[in-house]
Amino acid sequence: MSIIKVALSTNHGKIVLELDDEKAPESVKNFISYVESGHYEGTIFHRVIDGFMIQGGGFDIDMNQKDVQDPIKNEANNEWKNQIGTIAMARTSDPHSATAQFFINTADNEFLNHTSESDQGWGYTVFGEVCTGIEVVNKIGKIETGTTDGHKDVPTEPVIIEGAKVVE
Amino acid sequence: MTTLFISDLHLEIGRPDITRAFSQFIKEEALNADALYILGDLFEVWIGDDLNNTFTMQILSLLNEVSSAGIPVFLMNGNRDFLIGDVFCKAARCTLLPDPSLITINNELILLCHGDHLCTEDRDYMKFRDMVRGQPWQSQFLGKSIEERLRIASNLREGSQAKKQETNTDIQDVNHSEIIPFMEKFGVRTLIHGHTHRPATHQFEIKNKPAVRIVLGDWFGQISVLRINNGNYNLESTPFN
Repeated sequence: MSIIKVALSTNHGKIVLELDDEKAPESVKNFISYVESGHYEGTIFHRVIDGFMIQGGGFDIDMNQKDVQDPIKNEANNEWKNQIGTIAMARTSDPHSATAQFFINTADNEFLNHTSESDQGWGYTVFGEVCTGIEVVNKIGKIETGTTDGHKDVPTEPVIIEGAKVVE
Repeated sequence: MTTLFISDLHLEIGRPDITRAFSQFIKEEALNADALYILGDLFEVWIGDDLNNTFTMQILSLLNEVSSAGIPVFLMNGNRDFLIGDVFCKAARCTLLPDPSLITINNELILLCHGDHLCTEDRDYMKFRDMVRGQPWQSQFLGKSIEERLRIASNLREGSQAKKQETNTDIQDVNHSEIIPFMEKFGVRTLIHGHTHRPATHQFEIKNKPAVRIVLGDWFGQISVLRINNGNYNLESTPFN
């Protein structure tokens, strides 16, 4: 198996993702494990920047951070680019710190791509792409945002992931 | 996990209270961080990497403690310690960052600089900056004996103090008209810098999109830190114990 489909049901519509576990095995395995444990249900897209990306999977509707599993290794050296419609793992400044949060690129974000195995060059691991529902992603990407509890770019009306499941 | 940004500590032998605060910050906070960024003026003065004394070794060992724990330390030159070079950074096992530098944290593109080059209204300083950041001046200066360099540095500092007293304080803040073009040039919406000792989070818009400029504070009487944790920005000053 190399392509696994996952459907995210949001209050703005359904987004279906095709994940490639040959190109990014650890990241796909990690994401699926969060999907199957029900982690993403009730989480929100908490960081939305028009013309950049939408990020979610880490906070509930009250901006409480959810518990996560151990971080995974960075696989951005698979050379899969952060292009429009791709999904990638979010992380801190440590290249190997991704846990549950992910983002969907709404622009070709070249600066997020792998350039070298250095702290600043590792980049962000792309592990799949949107196959259905890109219009939902684009709609979320244009939503009104503000600042909440020190977080920038938080949608003023919550964008909720109501369900996440492997569809085939 | 948290990424830490500090600047303008102005560490010097004559201010053991700042060194103590820095040591406490390293042990209690930096050793548990994701990364530590020092955006210039770690030292009050730096006359070259060949000056080794108990004080410089103490600071070097604190930085080394962090990097040895696997936590990357990034150092940028300031207007006081612009002569920190590869020898010091290699010994401290930290990475010398060019000014300005682009980094990403939480997939956000962030522009870092010390901030002195944005003070373009202070024309005398800009001229001085161009001179001392140039290779000819640096080669000539570093070719002098340590004693002579210390004397020159002391004269420069006295001159700078006198000038500060006779200059309108506004001039030493950044030139606000420089900020947006500078950020647009690098395509960023977030800028972090120090130098002005005016800690603040400035929010504004660039082409109708929200942008932010975070100014780090000095350490003259407080620990001043920007913490970025999971997209949350927290700029805080805590007075020394």
